[in-house]
Amino acid sequence: MAATFAFKLVTPDGVLFDGQAEQVNAINPLGEFGVLADHTNYTTSLVPGLLTIRTAVGQTLEYMVTSGLVEVRDGVMTALAQNAAPPEQAEAPDETELREAEERLSQMSMYEPDYDEEQQSVMVLRVRRDVADSRRAASD
Amino acid sequence: MASLKAIRRRIGSVRSTQQITRAMKLISAARLRRVQEALQSARPYHEALVRVADSLFATERAALDPAENAKQRALIVVIASDRGLCGGYNANLMRTTEEEARRAARDGMEVRFYAVGRKALDHLRRANHEVAHQRINNPRLATFGLAQDLASRILTEYRAGEVAETGLVYSQFGSALSQRPAYERLLPVAEQKADEATGGIAAPIDYLVEPSRAKLVPVVLRGYLEDSIFHALLEAEASEHGARMTAMDSATNNAADMIERLTLEMNRARQASITTELMDIVGGAEALRA
Repeated sequence: MAATFAFKLVTPDGVLFDGQAEQVNAINPLGEFGVLADHTNYTTSLVPGLLTIRTAVGQTLEYMVTSGLVEVRDGVMTALAQNAAPPEQAEAPDETELREAEERLSQMSMYEPDYDEEQQSVMVLRVRRDVADSRRAASD
Repeated sequence: MASLKAIRRRIGSVRSTQQITRAMKLISAARLRRVQEALQSARPYHEALVRVADSLFATERAALDPAENAKQRALIVVIASDRGLCGGYNANLMRTTEEEARRAARDGMEVRFYAVGRKALDHLRRANHEVAHQRINNPRLATFGLAQDLASRILTEYRAGEVAETGLVYSQFGSALSQRPAYERLLPVAEQKADEATGGIAAPIDYLVEPSRAKLVPVVLRGYLEDSIFHALLEAEASEHGARMTAMDSATNNAADMIERLTLEMNRARQASITTELMDIVGGAEALRA
């Protein structure tokens, strides 16, 4: 059996997962990353996407997270997500909503104060679409 | 002495007031319990965030300072309630607000406000303060969305150099009987916040940081602000319900006392009227016999 480590997924609304994990995968601004047992102390931010937990008992759990942070300290990993939900709860966004948001973003300059927020909301909408698409593909 | 009918009517009206205050007390108690649970569930997030923020901020102080040439202006966010009937809750908050406004003025700063809750807005308008943003009629105060909205506005003003200092006036929740209005400075961030939250922390932890410390600091700062405001909103909501519960409890008790007193008065009035009637009858009989 692979080595495991303590992992916690917390949101402002409460703790969603608190237990032993073999591996946790998530996405930061540089791309997808994974954490295994005995990881060095580590901090990074999360971008909207799937966070996958392989638990000690071999179960795979998925959560759709919006933005957040990850901390690994002394072999204990904590993911702080502003919002996390199982992908089953993800609803495909309205196509026009996504298109409008993308349109707004493309018109903005990177230096506008609202740029980051707009970019964030576009990313969240895209993840929702992708997750819903892959679910539909899986059920077909 | 008031007539029997008038007293009866008053008892009826006090009784229906009592029913309302009792219902309000029960509602507040139920809401308070819900907010206390939310406070509990928000704690792990809060503690972990403060830990990460501390160790990052310790080496990146410069990124947290106000913008160069920032205006000498303080931004105070006042969190009060939308409704009254909660004892001295709002009045106490406004006293603290005024104290902070005076302190900022002494430090040579202009002051502007954000008002959360109708009572805060009413007070600030009456006192002729500059209200730059308002959020009133919130069906629920402690929502992460509200915290995000406030945090993002504050950050925009802070980065643009519109304000050099930002803080919150809100009520810290001790228990249903004690709520303490307080001022908490948000920006510039105080050093070593963890001392109070996690009971002392040793040297900052040496993390491997991706993408880079400089890139992560703004992300953490935003998260930290949102969390601090969310926490304050939760405490404020708990305080409001606690204050209302206490106020409505004593109102219910006062109504009970009043009903008791009026009932006594009513019995006395009834006895008096019976006596008068008897006297009339006796008097009439005497007159007939004579």
